[in-house]
Amino acid sequence: MSEASLQPQVEHHAADGHHHDPAARAENLKFATWLYLASEVVIFSVLIATYVVFRLHSPEVVEHFHEGLNEWPGIWLVSINTFILLSSSWAMVMGLRQIQRGNRQGLIRWISLTALMGALFVLFQYVEYSELSHKGITLYYNTDGTFTDFGMRFYAPTAFHGAHVIVGILWALFVVFNARRGNYSADNYAGVEVFGLYWHFVDVVWIVLFTLIYLV
Amino acid sequence: MASISVPIGSVPGQSAPRPRLRVSDYLRWSVDHKIIGVQYMVTAAFFFIVGGTLAMLIRLELLTPNLDVVQTGSQYNTLFSVHGLVMIFLWIIPMMAGFGNYLVPLMLGAKDMAFPWLNAFAFWLIPPAGILMVGSMLVGAPEAGWTQYPPLSTLFSGDGQTLAALSVHLLGISSILGAINFLVTVKNMRPPGMSYWQMPLFVWAIVATSIIVVMATPFLAGALTLLILDRVGGTTFFDATKGGDVLLWQNVFWFYSHPAVYIMVLPGMGILSDVLSVHSRKPIFGYKMIALSSMAIGIVGFTVWAHHMFTSLQPELRIPFMITSMIIAVPTGIKIFSWLGTLWRGKIRFTSAMLFSLGFLSMFVIGGITGVMLAMIPFNLHVHDTYFVVAHLHFVLFGGSVFAIYSGVYHWFPKITGRMLDERLGRLHFALTYIGFFFTFFPMHFAGMLGMPRRVAVYMPEYQGLNATASFGSFLLGISTFLLLYNVIASLRSGRLAGANPWRALTLEWATTSPPPATNFVGDPVLFEDPYGYGTEGASDYLDAIERRFGAPSQPVVVDKPASPAAQGASGD
Repeated sequence: MSEASLQPQVEHHAADGHHHDPAARAENLKFATWLYLASEVVIFSVLIATYVVFRLHSPEVVEHFHEGLNEWPGIWLVSINTFILLSSSWAMVMGLRQIQRGNRQGLIRWISLTALMGALFVLFQYVEYSELSHKGITLYYNTDGTFTDFGMRFYAPTAFHGAHVIVGILWALFVVFNARRGNYSADNYAGVEVFGLYWHFVDVVWIVLFTLIYLV
Repeated sequence: MASISVPIGSVPGQSAPRPRLRVSDYLRWSVDHKIIGVQYMVTAAFFFIVGGTLAMLIRLELLTPNLDVVQTGSQYNTLFSVHGLVMIFLWIIPMMAGFGNYLVPLMLGAKDMAFPWLNAFAFWLIPPAGILMVGSMLVGAPEAGWTQYPPLSTLFSGDGQTLAALSVHLLGISSILGAINFLVTVKNMRPPGMSYWQMPLFVWAIVATSIIVVMATPFLAGALTLLILDRVGGTTFFDATKGGDVLLWQNVFWFYSHPAVYIMVLPGMGILSDVLSVHSRKPIFGYKMIALSSMAIGIVGFTVWAHHMFTSLQPELRIPFMITSMIIAVPTGIKIFSWLGTLWRGKIRFTSAMLFSLGFLSMFVIGGITGVMLAMIPFNLHVHDTYFVVAHLHFVLFGGSVFAIYSGVYHWFPKITGRMLDERLGRLHFALTYIGFFFTFFPMHFAGMLGMPRRVAVYMPEYQGLNATASFGSFLLGISTFLLLYNVIASLRSGRLAGANPWRALTLEWATTSPPPATNFVGDPVLFEDPYGYGTEGASDYLDAIERRFGAPSQPVVVDKPASPAAQGASGD
């Protein structure tokens, strides 16, 4: 081997493009988002575990809570809310479809709708929380209610999820802002895609929480 | 014999553009992974001294069986709680992240990490976290140990416990962001021609570590959120008198913290794999096995957490956790034997880096054996919460992680600064550390077996002999740290010039100038097909070519002795 062997070989030039190549950047962003969501799954599972452990200890409190859901608004409000959130994922997918076809206005419209539906979800969750607090389900421990220690186990996962929806709304507005500045196109939409991953994740978590806390 | 003594200045390419970095460049926001790496390391070293000072106070207190340094048991609780938190979350983990940041892009021939901005952000979470941690001692100190078990941490400890929890929370976010960055970098930014099986083993170790960080650290984040809510939000998640569950904390905490043990030691094992191969001039033995055993440790590490809770767990769950805890010793054993196989009949150079790696090998094995002892339920119940546990964890974390860090510092300091550390001081540093370490922590095994509980400031007089030995050993250990500090500062000013590749190593970080230019490589890096292919003529030629192109050390770093008959091959490489 001589000095010449240290000269770069032809295929090594490909290594140069990592930073500026949008395709490579999109790959990086998507993979990083998946990893980030993996860590989110873990955080949620801690909060879900606290709920499950509590439920195993005191199943009668959860039963009592479920009986209360039969009164209006109860389970109906939550079901409507679930429907809104699931539909917002559909709006999100439609937005992605529009930008893949190069339709920026379509993207802006659908993602705005996504954000709006997210905001509705948060609003209804607020309404639900107010109803529940009237029934004595509070975050704090108090000695004179049936739900004395149910509240915190209920609010911790659902409110943490609500916070994720709020972050998602802000992220959606950021995507809209970027779209209005013309940052996305038919072959550059990774930013929309990773927002989509996050939004779907928030949806899936809600399906788990809805099933675990309200249905079974 | 390879010619490492090429006179300086006689070769072209010597004047490759060197970055002229000032101290102030390291004090401000930068997205260059090399600057961030050094920022991590220097910050971590600062907290090593903070944690070390606390350790010295602990050992000073334990010199006699009575209270003398501290006035109350609470103050002593603060000392060991903050010592543990600082050493784990502000020294070992950030220090390993520092090595990772500096080395991973270089080893992959990349210009930077995949997300440079995120990288800088992850680092800058550490200083505020450090301030919170140190500040916690001033406002009603945390007293619940590094494990922060409720109800100690929720009902009894001072406000500082909240600050410490917030601090650990921030550090957790920092390490999750860092780990995501590492994984994306390794997956997507390897140079063409480098498959996963041609990556240096340090990179493999960082991959395994990062997977654990992404999957385990959020457990701690979730648990800490609930802990903080309990402390300031009026909830009672962990208050058994109000419907809470204290075991929930233990389960979730150890489900994070047992894998975290591997977060702290796997990068060290990566360092060891590189250092042992380079300094014994032999291909690493069992490359794939070492790489895969890191992954195995990462996976099995998630199934052993309850061995920390043998005394609080339902008895029928103990046996399964005893079995998994013993199984996890197997991949570690695979690594140990692979390293021994690497050393076997190699041309070992007893450089400081090598000495610390050998120190790791000997001490970590003791820590590993006591680990298996602790996995056995009857023995565990006997020594539960005694000094035996303290001895075990320090053999793993100091004899393992810190020895590996020292080894890495001696090995990569020339690359980072362009100057060599003083080898004679380095060897003295090793001798003092090794002896000091052994006499600090080995007697603790006996103290624990005799029944001395951990986390107490006052103990029965018959343990004094063992404790005094440990204390004097620890003072020696404390002094040895300053040798390294002095060596670093003196060598920065007047150390010998290192050249590109003073150890004649084959991994890519050496195929550029020391320190590397801002873009890491001028032109595209050329990789050697096998990162551990020492002892071949091809390797020798490659290393000579690197030297001709990027510069040689100012004088031969290691004078190779004539090959002994036992050594294989005639080449110095």
